[in-house]
Amino acid sequence: MFEQYDVAVIGGGPAGLAAAIASSKEGASTLLVEREGRLGGILKQCVHDGFGVIRFGEKLAGPEYAQRYINELKETDVQVSLLTFVDKIEKSKDGFTLVLVSAQGMRRVGAKAVILATGCRERTARQVAIHGTRPAGVLTAGAAQFYTNILGQLPGRRCAVLGSGDIGLIMTRRLTLEGAQVLGVYEAKSIPSGLPRNIAQCLNDFDIPLHLRKTVTRCFGHERLEAIEISDVDENMTPLPGTEQIIECDALILSVGLIPENELAETLGASLHQVTRGPVCDQNGQTEIPGLFSCGNAAHVNDLVDYVSESGEAAGRAAAMLNSECLMLNYAEISVDNNFLYAMPQRIDLSGSPEEVIVYFRSRDERGKTGFSAKLGDQVLLKKIFQTLRPPEMERVVLKLPPGVKAGDLVRLEME
Amino acid sequence: MDWIARTNEELKKQFAGRYTVRREKEHLVLEGGSGDWQEIVEAGFAAARAAKGNIKGCLVNDVRFTGEQPKPMRLPNIEDQALEGMKPDVLVIGGGVVGCAIARELTRWKLDVLLAEKECDVALHTSARNDGMVHPGLDLRKSKLKYWYNKRGNEMYDRVCGELEVPFARTGQLLCFPKGYTPLLYLFKLYWNNLEIPSVVLKKKALYEKIPDLDTKLGCALLFPTAGSVCPYGLTIAFAENAIENGAVVSLNTAVLGMELEDRMIKSVRTNRGTVYPKVVVNAAGVFSEDVAAMAGDRFFSIHPRRGTNSILDKKASHLSLFNLSPILISHLVGSHTKGGGIIRTIHGNLLLGPDAVETPEKENFATLRDSIDNVLHKQRQTIGELGHGQIITYFTGVRAATFEEDFVIRRGLYTENIVHAAGIQSPGLTAAPAIAEDITRMVLDQVAAEKNESFNPHRKAIVNAAELPEEERSALIAENPDYGVILCRCEQVSRGEIAAALKRPLPCDSVDGVKRRVRAGMGRCQGGFCGPQVAQVIAKELNIPLEQVRKSGAGSEVLLGATKGGDTHV
Repeated sequence: MFEQYDVAVIGGGPAGLAAAIASSKEGASTLLVEREGRLGGILKQCVHDGFGVIRFGEKLAGPEYAQRYINELKETDVQVSLLTFVDKIEKSKDGFTLVLVSAQGMRRVGAKAVILATGCRERTARQVAIHGTRPAGVLTAGAAQFYTNILGQLPGRRCAVLGSGDIGLIMTRRLTLEGAQVLGVYEAKSIPSGLPRNIAQCLNDFDIPLHLRKTVTRCFGHERLEAIEISDVDENMTPLPGTEQIIECDALILSVGLIPENELAETLGASLHQVTRGPVCDQNGQTEIPGLFSCGNAAHVNDLVDYVSESGEAAGRAAAMLNSECLMLNYAEISVDNNFLYAMPQRIDLSGSPEEVIVYFRSRDERGKTGFSAKLGDQVLLKKIFQTLRPPEMERVVLKLPPGVKAGDLVRLEME
Repeated sequence: MDWIARTNEELKKQFAGRYTVRREKEHLVLEGGSGDWQEIVEAGFAAARAAKGNIKGCLVNDVRFTGEQPKPMRLPNIEDQALEGMKPDVLVIGGGVVGCAIARELTRWKLDVLLAEKECDVALHTSARNDGMVHPGLDLRKSKLKYWYNKRGNEMYDRVCGELEVPFARTGQLLCFPKGYTPLLYLFKLYWNNLEIPSVVLKKKALYEKIPDLDTKLGCALLFPTAGSVCPYGLTIAFAENAIENGAVVSLNTAVLGMELEDRMIKSVRTNRGTVYPKVVVNAAGVFSEDVAAMAGDRFFSIHPRRGTNSILDKKASHLSLFNLSPILISHLVGSHTKGGGIIRTIHGNLLLGPDAVETPEKENFATLRDSIDNVLHKQRQTIGELGHGQIITYFTGVRAATFEEDFVIRRGLYTENIVHAAGIQSPGLTAAPAIAEDITRMVLDQVAAEKNESFNPHRKAIVNAAELPEEERSALIAENPDYGVILCRCEQVSRGEIAAALKRPLPCDSVDGVKRRVRAGMGRCQGGFCGPQVAQVIAKELNIPLEQVRKSGAGSEVLLGATKGGDTHV
């Protein structure tokens, strides 16, 4: 018996939950595939608050935020397949065939559209060139969070944190509250990567020092981590010889970047954007492969879950619609000037004549008061002044599209 | 002037009198003092060259090294009497690929075999820290033992890996040359024909069809089809498991601390787990083989450790080469001491870059250095320009157990009767291991008569790799045991069933790294970020131990340090 769905959503975190709900609400038969035994993705282990300020006007804990969507999902007809792994996805005549593995065996499922909501993985010690030994006690912030919050176990008692990304900051506070000592947070860049509120609430409130322009270059200890070597770095983040300093600790927590998980997208031939490392997408998250969508952190790393849900909803809706008519895809392109790190989406699907498009972007450098404009030829679509722009903080703007916009047009985003 | 006086003259000229040699019985001793390790090694090479053919033994390095002293051998922190009074026929010291292959080979005979390994698992030193290449033997010469053992070992690989269900593939080695070398290749081919190493000349078109991303400076190649790839620790574990299945005892966390000698015979061997009384001792102790020989009163060779670092690339880079690729390095042909490294395609489908070669007094320092990675990457980029830091998912350092003769020492003791050495094993030791095991076994049998073990079973069942099974078989397996359908390591697609199976093998395995080496959970691009905690939980459940007792590797490497404040037991 061959199961057939309109939409298959891969990943039951915030993006996948929102996508599945939206798809189902549009009337599409929807399958949600989750690798773990429970829905919620990484939110399950994010017991700190601050989730949902934009969506719900409330500061929720991660599991609470997820639960709202899980409750909503229960009201829909979405088929949920837990502890199920996508072995592969193949293009088929009328969509995709998914090969799924679970304790029930192997099964093949057909779907007209596939939404990849597979989130990120964390960059590892080796990928940021930490050398020396490989003892126990060197772990990513996400793994440390799992041990601490899900298993109730401390991964270290005397910890150093590398990377001032939000997960690193949150874990600094968490470990401190749970009885471990965090000696300091080290950041190779000259500005912290996390949100200012996290710097204030996770470090300053606990008198934990943040050391900028310093990185970890070596680990010592054979079985258990015994010490780390810290080095100053130059502006290219290359360690400077002669600046080494040894810090004794039993754990090194790494918050050194997230990498969108797009191995499935790649096997289907979707090209990845060099900066976002997610697929090149339109405003609905549709990739260059018709019927294949990407949303949430798999598309690009977000700093707020609210926007992850938003992108999931957009993808869910569009994937469900795909089913009702055979769309001729015609695209306008979005380009950014050098002051941008990236903008998302990279192109605009004009079918269905969208009136507005949500654009997320990050600046390349930290900037003060900055004029932002979106132009279509000579026509200004949006002008806006930002008091500050910082690479760690994603900005969101809504562009109103004029009726005349046509395939091949270029929307230019500029800063001045 | 005799050869020793001549050698001393030579050393004096070259090293300003810092080193001298003297003959002691059947070996040559290098003496002197220096803080320059590299220079000591060079003096050793010079002395070993001079001694060639003049003595039965080898060069022993007794130079006082005045630089930073290497740490003493790390010892297991276990003290018990588990082995006290055992009287095995054969004690094999060292659980590397050679020691484990020997232990298995010995079980073809009715012999009590005890293998002592000081680490918490087999294959934790050189046997896990190499590129896994089964060499055709391009840089070897017939004057070396290495050549003959490599040749025989290479030929044995299909059978041995078949018996042990260890994945092995003859991936082939491509030796790439610059444009315009094609006519010369036919000469080179003759050179290797003479060494009985078959090769095929690939002209430009054929070469670029095989490796489209090859650097354009390279224009032709010799393909050596007998080159292969194997998982070196996988094979070592398989040898150990099959040895155990056939009656051998493998004692982990067991370090040899001393020996009692009498009339050129080893009477007893003291370990941290009791004293044992073997009839014959096999020295397969890798970088510590010299130390074992010394305990046995049979130190007639020296090891100068040589560090090498390899990088492993994301499988996404695997399309760059389906072969083991070596750039042209004429120095190979005129006798450098180590292979120039290359781009190796591992049996698991990753590309591996390396290794480099650095002399070091430290036998157990596996720390990696940034420079090694950069140098190797820089070098291999000359073959494939597409290679980059971003593709590297991990790296590791191994230490080769080289002698100053740069050859294996495979023989009975020179001064002590009941020891057999399988020492000085560096590349191509992995390739040679099955052949070495045969010969060492023969040498052991010269000393202890034994009948054939009629019940010896050469076949070992591997842990099933569910993801590689055809869909129907995989479904059937899952129907039988649903755990095979629960994927815990997503990068390498390893199921809970496979992880649980790894914990119930003939050779005990109870650590996260042990599981990783057996079923590859954590070997992928996220390096255990996702599956590490999952594997730890499976270990706790299957072995029925508290989570905080789960270790990454050996004793003292517990992954977790106890409950959080809010957990069960308050801090």
